[in-house]
Amino acid sequence: MRRNLTKRMAALPLLAVAGLVLAGCGDSVNDAATETATEEAAVATEEAVTEEAAEEVAACGDWAIAMHGWVGYTASAQVVAEVAQDALGCTIEQTQLEEAGVTYDAMEAGSIDVIVEDWGGGRWQEWVDRGAIQEVGTNGNVGLIGMYVPQWMADEYPDITDGTKLNDYAELFQTPETGDKGAWYEGPPGYTTIGEKIIDAYGLNYQVVSTGSEAALIELFTQAADNKTAALGYFYEPQNFLAQVDLARVNFPANDWTDPAEASGMTDYPESPLMKLATTELVESGSPFATLVANFNWTNDDQNMVAADIEGGMTPQEAAQKWIAANKDTVNSWLAGTGASIS
Amino acid sequence: MKAYIDTHVPEFLRRKWVLIVGLLVVWFVLGRIFKGVHTLDIGNSEDTPTTEVLGQFAANIRAARAENPIFVYIFNPFRQGIESFVEVIRAVISDPAPGALIPVIGWVGILAFIGFIVFATSNWRTSLLSMVLIFGCGVLGMWTYSMDTLALTIGAVVLSLVIALPIGIWAGLNDRVMKTVRPVLDLAQILPTLVYLAPLALVFLIGIAASTIATMIYSIPIGIRITAHAIRSLQNGPIEAAESMGSTRWQKLTKVQLPMAKRTIILGVNQTTLAALSFVVIAALIGAPGLGEPVLQALSIRNIGDGVTAGLAVVFIAVMLDRSTTAAVVHSNQIPLTGKPLLVRRLSLGAAAIATIVAIMISRQQLWAAVFPESLDFRDPIGNWFDAITEWFTTTFYFLTTSFNEVFTLNILNPIEYLLADAPWYLTIIMISVIAAIIGGRTVAILSAILLLLIVWIGLWNDTMITLTQVLIATTIVMLIGVVLGVAAGRNAKFERILKPFLDAGQTLPAFVYLVPVLALFGPTRFAAIVCGVFYAAPVVVRVVADGVRGVPKEMVEAAIASGSSTTQVVTKVQLPASKKSLLLGANQGLIFVLAVVVIGGLVGAGGLGYLVLQGASKPELQGKGLAAGLAIVLLGIVMDRIAHASARRS
Repeated sequence: MRRNLTKRMAALPLLAVAGLVLAGCGDSVNDAATETATEEAAVATEEAVTEEAAEEVAACGDWAIAMHGWVGYTASAQVVAEVAQDALGCTIEQTQLEEAGVTYDAMEAGSIDVIVEDWGGGRWQEWVDRGAIQEVGTNGNVGLIGMYVPQWMADEYPDITDGTKLNDYAELFQTPETGDKGAWYEGPPGYTTIGEKIIDAYGLNYQVVSTGSEAALIELFTQAADNKTAALGYFYEPQNFLAQVDLARVNFPANDWTDPAEASGMTDYPESPLMKLATTELVESGSPFATLVANFNWTNDDQNMVAADIEGGMTPQEAAQKWIAANKDTVNSWLAGTGASIS
Repeated sequence: MKAYIDTHVPEFLRRKWVLIVGLLVVWFVLGRIFKGVHTLDIGNSEDTPTTEVLGQFAANIRAARAENPIFVYIFNPFRQGIESFVEVIRAVISDPAPGALIPVIGWVGILAFIGFIVFATSNWRTSLLSMVLIFGCGVLGMWTYSMDTLALTIGAVVLSLVIALPIGIWAGLNDRVMKTVRPVLDLAQILPTLVYLAPLALVFLIGIAASTIATMIYSIPIGIRITAHAIRSLQNGPIEAAESMGSTRWQKLTKVQLPMAKRTIILGVNQTTLAALSFVVIAALIGAPGLGEPVLQALSIRNIGDGVTAGLAVVFIAVMLDRSTTAAVVHSNQIPLTGKPLLVRRLSLGAAAIATIVAIMISRQQLWAAVFPESLDFRDPIGNWFDAITEWFTTTFYFLTTSFNEVFTLNILNPIEYLLADAPWYLTIIMISVIAAIIGGRTVAILSAILLLLIVWIGLWNDTMITLTQVLIATTIVMLIGVVLGVAAGRNAKFERILKPFLDAGQTLPAFVYLVPVLALFGPTRFAAIVCGVFYAAPVVVRVVADGVRGVPKEMVEAAIASGSSTTQVVTKVQLPASKKSLLLGANQGLIFVLAVVVIGGLVGAGGLGYLVLQGASKPELQGKGLAAGLAIVLLGIVMDRIAHASARRS
């Protein structure tokens, strides 16, 4: 009987292989797909040649965009990806990835080519020095980090938004987490922060709670606004959430630093233009995608609009396409120099 | 010494628990007096000498990657080999070639093929269930993601088994090999997965290769352990018979030991597969394709529904893999068919094979069979439904959960944390070591003291104690739940059947899926982190305890009932004591699983080591501190594991 079993087991892979070979011989929908794709490409080129008869659009190639885990980033990256695919015929891969170190390493190794929004004021320097990464300008968005309270608190205690007076209100922010100190909710691990320095510098009677994720901060402020509870936490713009829930920014004396390592803790966060980063390989490739990435530039409102649509239930693709269709002039300005355009 | 204790120390002081309670009181009082003294608390972004050295080390690796011969001649070819292997599987089932519409096989073909394999290795019922579950992944709108996950899982499992089976067999036959590999296995299982993701990405880059290797690190130890166990637990009779008949060692192994151990070895395959699957999702953090992508994306836009649909697809695949491998074990144990049933079985296998080939061919030629049809995709309605349920649940129970959280934090969490983290560090180390000595003996006490001092030297003492507090509490809750549900499930088969899908879900649902609901209920707090840990670790303990209770000989239970014991007495006096081994194993597994999600806790406000690991992964200037935090988690894990082991041996 053993022999039977063995025979049967041995037959399995054979069958599988035979099946695959047999099946592999037949036509496949893939053949049809390739044909259609080639035809479409041919038609597209023809059109481009006849209608524009202008500069030829250079071949774009295969590139990968890092996808970081906040919705504003998703909005920017998706719009760039859609334009690159539709207008330039690029093959774009979008890879979900933790920001900073892991992504810079991936760029150095050639598996990621572009970051469309980086907040880290120069944390990529080590990789730039080695020639792997280059800054390719700002993306037009201006980031502003700060500490926020729900609007109802600002209404009830008008000078709570004066950061230097926070000690007067520490009692309001007491939680079981922080005992007799006020809770100072900090941002996700990768985000730039000088919270601990501010607390030290002003001797604030607050204790840092590391929320660990943006989702945690958003839940915190949502509950605080809905239930009129107290909350003092890290947040930033551009972020569409600020349009949904009323928060008031707590202000500190005017900013005097750009590198968080040099901040004294006495002054506020700076307004920082957000950077685009690309691999040297992409920049020097001559691909029209490099031009698109270099030209890409939009406002905080633009980003918020797309982010709002994504949070409202659209897929990132739908939201990006909707914005592109409504902002053709802007998109065409990004395409300047590539020979391509959308209409 | 012992004689001295026997004569001079009063009887009641020799009772362990009296001693321990006394110690705790002393600890508490001293802790109150010296509250906040020498706690070694440092800021999140503050480095220590050790973390700086580690950071420099990481930076050096990075800079050397391009030219270093180890990378050029070993790591890089290794990486490429693994990548191409997995890519082949992906090309067949998930990843269309450039310009193509579908992979080599379309969805109908894949479905039929899975059905056939399961049918051939078990029975038609399991085969049907498997096909329904995989079809379900498509209905959830996750077909391509699911196939990517399946491809990665299969790739990682095959490679893991290639390594785990031979080593496991060797370790099963040879005591010295077993002694050498065991510490490595212990370490690999305690090491939280997220700790080595970033360093692995540093060596093997992001993407398929790094995620496959990370998955293998996670699943190989499980495979080795169970295979070795399978060989070791064989009865001696048949082996000795083979020896007396003059078999060579090779004959003895292939003709006697392996066939006899087959059942347990397949169980090892089963566990390796589930471990690999649960990891493949996490590997999305370093760019692995598959179901982890929609899960992470849903987290970033807080779309609970999308996260749940992706998470459900993971659970479906897990149940499919679990049931089919389990059924294969049962099938391989059945008495082989003869006569008419055998003929029927062969004919139906043949028919199924032909049907599968036809299905594969159709799936390559007909569009409806190639691409999963949109009309069958119910992702949005299912997602919206989960959104609505979660919304209702969190708003309805918010006040209940926050007040519970408050009471729990003030009365249990904070006092324990004061004890561990707010007292002077040397007091805590002395107290832990003395308790370890009482319950586990001198050796383990010395080991604990050394490892804890090592943590102090690394410079992450305070964060380690914050994490330890949460781990202790979570493990205690896990054990309570595990014993209550485990006993109930072990005694009542019907209850177990109802419970089983929930256990499957709890064990395989990626933690990222329930982060947002947990946050909505408990806010960013340490308690939220504890809830996540309990959710993940409880199912394993329930399973182990239920298995133990079921394994109690029927005669013992019946004898107890016959002598007039009440149900409570049967449970407390017979079933629990008799399954003590399972309880200890459960406690050990519970601890390891809780440690494994410590890092996830960092995402919901737990602070401590988990947060530092995450911070190190995303802030290059603090990478060294992240690595050090990972190291501290491992040291903490070893301390707890050793104390638990030693006390188990003693009692």
